[in-house]
Amino acid sequence: MSKLIAFVGNPNVGKSVIFNKLTGQYAVVSNYAGTTVDVTRGTITIGSEQYQVVDTPGTYSLMPLSEDEQVTRDLIIKEKPNIIVQVCDMKNIERSLHLFCELALFKIPMVLVLNMRDEALQSGIRINIKKLTEILGVPITCCTATTGDGVNEILKVIPQATISNLTVEYKNSKDILTIENVLKDKSSISKALAVYLLSGDKDIKQYVPQKLQEKVFKLVSDTVKDEYKMFAAQIFHDNNETILNIVSDVKKIKHRKHKGFMEKLGNICLQPFWGTIIMLFIIFIMYEFIGVFVAGFVVDWIQTKVFEELINPFIANCFDYLGTGGFVNFIKDLFVGQYGIFTMAIPYAFAIIFPIVIAFFSFFGILEDSGYLPRLSVILNRLFSLVGLNGKAVLPMVLGLGCGTMAVLSSRILETKKERMIVVILLSLSIPCSAQLGIILAMLSSVSYKATIVWLLCILFSLFLVGKILDFYVKGESTNFIIEIPKMRIPSIINILSKVKMRLVWYMKEVVPLFILATVGLFFMDKIHLLTTLEKWFSPIVVKFLGLPIETTSTFIMGFLRRDYGASGIYTLAQDGLLNGGQILVSAVVITLFVPCLAQSLMVIKEHGIKIASLVFVAITTYAVLFGGLLRFLLSGF
Amino acid sequence: MALNEHKSKTNRDIEEALGVIWTSIQRGNDDFEEVSKTVKQGVDENIIDELLNGKYIVKEGNKIKLTDAGEDLGKQLTRRHRLTERLLADVLDFNRQDIEKIACDLEHNLSTDLADSICTLLGHPKQCPHGNPIPEGNCCKNSSSKIESIVVPLSKVDIAEDVTLSYIVTTNHDYMHKLLSLGMVPGTKLKLHQKFPTYIVKVNETQIALDGEVANLIYVRK
Repeated sequence: MSKLIAFVGNPNVGKSVIFNKLTGQYAVVSNYAGTTVDVTRGTITIGSEQYQVVDTPGTYSLMPLSEDEQVTRDLIIKEKPNIIVQVCDMKNIERSLHLFCELALFKIPMVLVLNMRDEALQSGIRINIKKLTEILGVPITCCTATTGDGVNEILKVIPQATISNLTVEYKNSKDILTIENVLKDKSSISKALAVYLLSGDKDIKQYVPQKLQEKVFKLVSDTVKDEYKMFAAQIFHDNNETILNIVSDVKKIKHRKHKGFMEKLGNICLQPFWGTIIMLFIIFIMYEFIGVFVAGFVVDWIQTKVFEELINPFIANCFDYLGTGGFVNFIKDLFVGQYGIFTMAIPYAFAIIFPIVIAFFSFFGILEDSGYLPRLSVILNRLFSLVGLNGKAVLPMVLGLGCGTMAVLSSRILETKKERMIVVILLSLSIPCSAQLGIILAMLSSVSYKATIVWLLCILFSLFLVGKILDFYVKGESTNFIIEIPKMRIPSIINILSKVKMRLVWYMKEVVPLFILATVGLFFMDKIHLLTTLEKWFSPIVVKFLGLPIETTSTFIMGFLRRDYGASGIYTLAQDGLLNGGQILVSAVVITLFVPCLAQSLMVIKEHGIKIASLVFVAITTYAVLFGGLLRFLLSGF
Repeated sequence: MALNEHKSKTNRDIEEALGVIWTSIQRGNDDFEEVSKTVKQGVDENIIDELLNGKYIVKEGNKIKLTDAGEDLGKQLTRRHRLTERLLADVLDFNRQDIEKIACDLEHNLSTDLADSICTLLGHPKQCPHGNPIPEGNCCKNSSSKIESIVVPLSKVDIAEDVTLSYIVTTNHDYMHKLLSLGMVPGTKLKLHQKFPTYIVKVNETQIALDGEVANLIYVRK
């Protein structure tokens, strides 16, 4: 079997970038702590030997307190990697050394990679690598992963990995040794086990050999006597003392003359006044770029110039060669009919959705890579705390403006079940995805600026109203806001492009097949007249209550299959002149609030179970319809 | 403000025993037999009778109850004990292992005034280093004092002032752990950058954003 290498490190030190560069595989990379929630695997070849590589979630410590930390520690204990590559932020060497002290207990050969050399140099930090190598007793190499500088050196040092000779002087070393000796010869990780047991870690108990369990557990509880917290604190304290000694030996900070532009900009983004102005400015640019330029101009151009003038006639011609007849007509309808794959699914996917999604992911990539998102979470923290969340929810919420399905997945970075639940419901209710948003904005801007503002107010009002209700009713805790603000940096084009590509590949694989499936579903619903039946059922609600033409019913049904599908349906109706301004506004609000698309619904089921998902589904549908009716009533009053 | 004159052994024992009983009742254990057993083992065989005779405690059914006098002594002793621990750990940098022993000696020799002064100096701490609550004294209720606190929560620090982290008060293990791992280790130099919309504090080369609640848990020395 080939050897296993584990990549371990604090959050936001560039593990995933290095992992991607070395393996050619994609782990989600972002300038936001805690993006890697699952482990990613790959292979690398060094010389003639092939290695299995695994990327772990960023963790500050192996002392298990959060799920992420447990993932990493369990992986080390269960899979026993042959080599651990610890990636460090060169600017924050102290923090990395804390993790190093804990990793060293496992007595596995290690390599240290000091990443972000460029930022460290910029901050005037110098590390004496030679001395640090001597003290830690493991090979060390430096790199700047974002530019790729020094990344190949990592491959050269990996085979030279050694077990660290660093020993921390623990004040409780006697107690540790007693436990260690009982465990000894049963497992090579006995010291690490002893330390965790004495620190009151319950999950580690399963790794103690069955035969020894009773004896060891009794010994542990006799030694610590309920003062597990003090024990853990002492271990931390001892590690810290060792680290401070090491750092004072190897780290020098040269005085910097003045702050760089990016640093100044980074600080301005955090200030209440200018931070808000910058946020509004970014939203404005985003609206102009995605809503007006891409969703309006580019989409229109592709639709008319590419599809209507070139592709559609060509395909229609191809199908004309088939002649006519019962079955042939059926096939023709399936591909080029009203709900045909070539007439509906492909143009929607490639003319409308594709440009918008690319535009959004590029824009999001710039925000993510520059380090702006954590700053945005500072600005929005108070607003989010109104609905039982904190600034950390910025990532899933903003990502939700791109793709709700992806956002539901990323809600895992939130700490408590309550927060995850609130985010998932708010995402389903009130955050339109980029595809839908683009179409809605294009549609509303054709009515008036006022309509766009009313729509926005309706959505924000719903977001806060429902958020407030959820905060009150969903059981569980909300957590406080503690987040690291990384340095602001000029985003790297290569990083952004690779992220856009990765997200696009994900989107194509997950979403486009559903898109085609949805069209086929719609086609059959039309064929067996289910669509007209459903239209009949729902027409009282749609026509009488919402005051919309009957044709919009099918677009709402489509809206479930794909959010933007529904929106595009309404857009087409609006273009055909079937809707007046007020009706466009009402249908835009309803389709935004309406249930999430099929893919996102499946993800909600996966994360929270079918019971909660159906409850959410019913509640959201009811809310959307009631709100739409209310809006119609208010509009007709003016 | 002076040390009490050296207390007789009996007085000391009584205080000690009341401290144990007070803590025990606070933790929800007021079973007479159980508590008496702990006290007898820890202090003296005859101490329970002495406490009953001195009207510090009463037995109600199988429950142990403190009288007002007993309550006061027990609470004050616990307060002095835990404040001493804080003083030793935060300001005098004693090894955490040795704190307990020294605190056990000192607690009997502090006057209430002196305890209040220490309390004020330390910024009216809410918890001892073990995470147990410190009972409030008069000084905590009326904050007017001639002594200026040298240890204050981060929320009371001026922007751009250089301070040193003393300790973090929280029973929430997650926050403690997260702050520690972000480099918020006792003894670290901190600098507050801003207080609104969230607190931004610089630790080493890192900026950390915190909300007000968390900033209230972080005690720093000016």
